[in-house]
Parts: sequence; structure tokens; C-alpha cells
Amino acid sequence: MLALNKKHRIAVAWAQDNNTLGAINKAVKKGFIEAILIGKPDEIRKTCKDEGIDENNFTLLESDSENQASAEAVRLAKTGEADIVMKGLVGTDKFLKAIMDKEKGLMLQNAVLSYVCALEIPAYHKLLFITDTAVIPFPDLDQKVAMARYAIEMAQKFGIEKPRIALIGASEKMSRHFENSVDYSIMCKMADRNQIQNCIMDGPLDIFLACDKKSLEIKGVESPVNGEADILLFPSLESSNPFYKGLMLFAQGELAGLLRGTEKPVIVMSRSESEISKYYCIALSCLMA
Amino acid sequence: MVLKNMNDLKRLVEGGPRKKLVLAAANDQHSLGAVIRAWKENIIDPILVGDEEEIHKICASNNYDITGIKITNEPNIEKSVETAVKIASGKQADILMKGKIGSATLLRCVLNKEWGLRTGNLLSHFALFEVETYKKVIAVTDVAMNIAPTLHDKIAIVNNSVACLNRLGYKMPKVAVLGAVEMVNENMQATLDAALLSKMNQREQIKNCIIDGPLAFDNAVSLESAQLKGIKSEVAGDTDLLLMPDIEVGNVLYKSLVFFAKAKVASIILGAMVPIVLTSRSDSEQAKFDSILLAAAASR
Repeated sequence: MLALNKKHRIAVAWAQDNNTLGAINKAVKKGFIEAILIGKPDEIRKTCKDEGIDENNFTLLESDSENQASAEAVRLAKTGEADIVMKGLVGTDKFLKAIMDKEKGLMLQNAVLSYVCALEIPAYHKLLFITDTAVIPFPDLDQKVAMARYAIEMAQKFGIEKPRIALIGASEKMSRHFENSVDYSIMCKMADRNQIQNCIMDGPLDIFLACDKKSLEIKGVESPVNGEADILLFPSLESSNPFYKGLMLFAQGELAGLLRGTEKPVIVMSRSESEISKYYCIALSCLMA
Repeated sequence: MVLKNMNDLKRLVEGGPRKKLVLAAANDQHSLGAVIRAWKENIIDPILVGDEEEIHKICASNNYDITGIKITNEPNIEKSVETAVKIASGKQADILMKGKIGSATLLRCVLNKEWGLRTGNLLSHFALFEVETYKKVIAVTDVAMNIAPTLHDKIAIVNNSVACLNRLGYKMPKVAVLGAVEMVNENMQATLDAALLSKMNQREQIKNCIIDGPLAFDNAVSLESAQLKGIKSEVAGDTDLLLMPDIEVGNVLYKSLVFFAKAKVASIILGAMVPIVLTSRSDSEQAKFDSILLAAAASR
């Protein structure tokens, strides 16, 4: 996926689970990261031993609590001792608390905290970027605009100069009874007027119209996205989250995601995610760093 | 098919059949002149409803020869309006015009649930301008009727106006949704409504026209202005219809065009069963005549 010429330093908060360690180790061996593992050294060492991982591949930092480990990982990123922060076995709430801390946290000023992921599915001819699958439950207009900009930025890092972004709904019609279709129509005009740049935007669109050219013909809809969306922007967490999980479960989807709105890249993955997904996230964070 | 000026409008009407115009409270110095002229020029067949004696007096003192004109005698003003509206709703006239009566009274009769001219649509004001410094006629709506139209109202206003322009021969009139700026601004409802109307047009929820907005006035009427700002728009510089955000700016534009740009204007009310001509005493003779022309062209 990427050819990197710099080694990024990743600080991992509460790094004792085998998936995280496995993914980190793989990346270390590939040569694009150095890892600082923050947590209980004994437990880390034990997991390494069980998995056949050489603990000397990493720097170990002692920490006795999840909150402290998260705070320390953030601190390292702030001082420049780490380039990337990763969530290990700590709960997402605790981890995000440290990221979002007003004084010591890692948020960019006035930035919206959001999440974008890149999805690879055999049934689609290219990568699909999806947002927001993890953070914002019901984005308002401003948040949707921020989500769009983050997704465009990520797609550009993958070499897509002017990504096609589809604003997803249940129908392609504008209706003032559906707040999302109102927001989407406003966003499309913003894109027309270059207020949202570097993209080809259309919405509302349903998934078929966004990703399947044939359905545009059948429905007689004209869309600049042309059924070849690079980015799918969803109206809510409860629509985007089941969507990507469905693809992973039923369509052999592979995923890499990243928090946006932070000073340095932050990897947040569910504790149940596979090792390979975590590995891809690490690679993605290095691309975005 | 584009109308460059009022003469083009006249030619459009002259080609067709004579429309029947009923003048309510016709014993009116201010409207009779325009009606009789339109009759003499073969644009309309008038039906004058009002105080017959007074009608004859007015015509005599102005030297109007009204031999052969149809008059329905009704000295009571309110009743004359009711009669005139019933003539129109009974499909005996194609145009309703206001004579010696207030607009509010006339419109109240128009909206009568039993014998009025209701269609279920919103009524809206439509003005067509000939301005020397613009390459073609330009329509403006709504400058006199809907005070603070909601999005829902604006959809109805656009639909009324587009249907009228379609009847004037415009297959896909270009509609500019006006604002103070051409960018979307969350604090400016006019710009948000413009974005929604554009999308509805794109999705064919509003048909038979091309809508773009928000556009500022200069972007709407000047391609150069639009290009300087880097605006990509099918409508900019080539607008046929200006959709105003509210009545204040609409009314000011209308009057600016007349007083400062010496524009010619024709106005009608759309959305009823027939177009309604509601001229006022301050309108010029030419404006009254042109409004009758417009009503004749716009009626089915």
C-alpha cells in the first residue's frame, strides 16, 4: 500500500493485548515505525512471550492505570517524543478523554473531532472512504462540512486529487422534512462555490446511486459523482457504523481508520478488531503524519 | 425563444386569438384608457362591469369611442367585483382586471371559496421589465404580494413564474435566486434557501427551468461580474427570472428600475384561475397597457 522513507514513533496507551502487539510488531519489522509501549511491563512481556514477539523491538514505559497511560501517550506526542498516538487495551471513553483534555490534550484549536476510515472490498473497484463511523452520533451542518474536508484530505493522501464524495441518504430528493437532505443540499452549493474545495460532490444519494453507475441510468438521475464515489458521508453514526461492519462481516472488507482534528495522528480501534486491521491503521497513520 | 423588449411581447400576443378581459368596477378613469386601447389594438375583448352611466360619462369626457363594447351594469361596487370574478371563474373571461376598487377587496373576492378563482396555489406577483442596459426582458418576483416567503412559498412562487414564462415561449428559463452574496452563509437564510432550491431543481423536483443561487444581483445580470468572482453558473449573466428573498428588496428593486433605469414594466398576479391585472394610479399609461399584454400572453 505505501512506500515510506521515514520511521514514525508510535506511543501506545495500555499496550498489553495480543492484537495490538502483533500489529505493532509487524510494523516494526517492516521498518516504518518505532514503538513506545505504555502499560504494565510484566503483562506486556508476558504477552510478547506468548506470541513469540521479541520485547526488545520496543521501548517499554511503566504505567499503572489506563488513564495515566493515555495521558502519557498524549504527553509524548505533544513534546514531540512521539509522532503518533495509539489506543491499546484502554476503553475508548478514557482514551478520548485524554485526547480531548482542554489543557493537555491533542486537539487542534476549534477543530471538530471526527473519524474517517478507508475500506477495501473485493466487490468495489477502488478504496471507499467512509465517515464518521466512530465519533459523531448526529453531525450538524458544520460537523458534516468538517467530516467532508477530512475525508477529502485523506483521499488526497492516497493520491486521489479530486475525490468524488457522495452524501448518503435513503433518497436522492431534497425534502425539508429530512434535515440531512437540507444539509446535503447546502453542502453541494458550498462545493459549487468552492467553499468546500478539491472534490466532486453530490447528495443526497442512496448507496446504489453513489456506487453503481447502472442505477443512475435506471432511475434517470444525473450526478457528477457518476456512481463512482470515493467517499461516502453518512448522516449518523448509527447508519455508518452498521454499514462498515456489514461490509466487513459479509463482503470481506478490510479497514483502516483514523481520528481527525488532532495535532498528531491518533489510532483508535475497537478491542475486538483484528490484528491485520490494526496493522493497516498503523500504516494509515504513518501516511497521514 | 427570448423576448428582447415589450415590442416582442406585443408581437407574441398579436399572433394569437383575442383574450377576454373582464374589468371589475369599470367606472374607473385610470384603467379604462388602457383597456380601450388594448381593445382597439385587437389584443383583448373587454367586458366592463360597473356603473354603466358613469362608464359612459368617463368615456365621453375622454373621447373614447366604445361602440360595441360589452357592458354589464352594476352600480354597486362590491357587487360589480363579485360579478366580474364570477364571469372569470365561470370561464367567460381569460383575464381579470381591477378598476375603481382597492386591491385587498378584489383579492378577497378572488379568494372566495364558493365562486372565486382559487386553485390551491399561492398567489404571487410577477413583473416583467424591459431595461435598456440588459440584453433581454427580465422577470422579477415577488415584489408586491408575499412579504416574507418561506422555502415552501418560494417553491410556489418559482413554479407560478416558470409556468408563466413557459407560456411566453421560454422552454427552460434561467432563474437566479438572489442574495446579498454568492456564497452560502449559515446566517443568511436567503443563501440557504437558494442552495435548497438549486438542489430541488437538479433533482427535477422543480421543473422546466434552470435554477442557480445564491447569486448577488451583479452576478445574476453580468457574466463579467460572475467571471471576475470565479463563479461557475449556467444562470449567471443570462438570467430570465430574479427570485427575490423578500418583498422589501423586491419592491425597492422594482422601483429603482422604474425611477433610475427608466425601465418599462408589466405586472400581473399569478396563481389564480386567470391572470389578474392590478394596476394602480401611480402606474404609467404604458405600464397599464403592457400589463394587459402580459396577462393576455400568460393566459391559457
